[in-house]
Amino acid sequence: MFKKALLVGAISLGAVSAHAVDVPITGNVQSKCIITTDTPGVYGNPNAYTLSTASGDGGVQPIVRYDVTLANAYYAQITTPTEFDQSPSLSDTVTWTGSTTVSAVSDATNMGSYETNKTTFGQTTQYDLTATGSTWFESTSTAAYGGNKAFPGGTYVANVEAVCIAK
Amino acid sequence: MLVSSFAYAHEMTPTYPEWRYSIYSDLLVTKMEMFNKRNDVEYYEIAVFDENWNPIPFVSSYKVFKLDYLSRVQFEVYIRAKDKDRAEYICSRSKLNNGMPAISSMICSRFK
Repeated sequence: MFKKALLVGAISLGAVSAHAVDVPITGNVQSKCIITTDTPGVYGNPNAYTLSTASGDGGVQPIVRYDVTLANAYYAQITTPTEFDQSPSLSDTVTWTGSTTVSAVSDATNMGSYETNKTTFGQTTQYDLTATGSTWFESTSTAAYGGNKAFPGGTYVANVEAVCIAK
Repeated sequence: MLVSSFAYAHEMTPTYPEWRYSIYSDLLVTKMEMFNKRNDVEYYEIAVFDENWNPIPFVSSYKVFKLDYLSRVQFEVYIRAKDKDRAEYICSRSKLNNGMPAISSMICSRFK
C-alpha cells in the first residue's frame, strides 16, 4: 500500500515536471553610445535684445546625457546654436555665444577630468569619453540682437546639436 | 541623485561596423541597427563620410526613414568598393520637427 502511494506520488511529480517550461531570456550586449535628451532648453528674455538660457535670465539650460558602454571609444561633441530654426523675420544680425560644461557624472573617479580635458572650437565643445557610464552635459546659449535693438515679438527656436563619434 | 521627469534616447549599433561583399558586383554592404527612444523624433537621416567629413555616395532603402517611438530597425548601407578605404563614418541624425525646441542628436559609427 505504501509502495503504491509512493508510485502515485512519483508519477504525479513526473507529471508536474513534464509541464514545466523553460522560458529563455536572451540578450545581446555590444558597445554603444546612447544620446539622451534630458532637458530641452528654454530661452529667457532678460531684456528686449537678449535671449538667454541662463537660469538667472529666466531660461532653462538644455541638458544632454551620454551613456557609453565601452571605455575610450567615443568623443562627445556638443554644439550650441548659431542660428534660429524658427523666428520672426529679423532684419539685423544676431550675435551668438554659448558654452558647454559637465554637470554630472556617474563615476567621479574616472570622469573627473572630463571638464579640464575638454577642447573647444567655435561653438563646439568636445569631450573624450574615456570611461564607461553616464555623463550629463549642460549648455548655455545667448543670442543678442544687433545694435541692442529689441527682438520682434514671436516664437524663437534654436537647437543644440549633440554628437557621439566613435574613435 | 539626478532625477529627470522624461528622457529621450537615440542609439545606433554597431560602433565599429565592417564592409562585406554584397550580391551586387562592385558594391559593399554593411548592416546597422537603430533604436528610437525619442518620442519627440519620428525621422532619422543616415549618411556616410570620409575622415574629413566629406559625404561619400551610398545607397540604402531610405536616406531619411521613419522610425516610430520605441521601434527598432535594421538597415543595409551600400557603397562602391572603390570607396571602401575612404569611408570612415556612418552616421544617423535625428530630424527635428520645425518649431519644436529640442536637442538634435547624431551618432557616428566608425570603420576601422
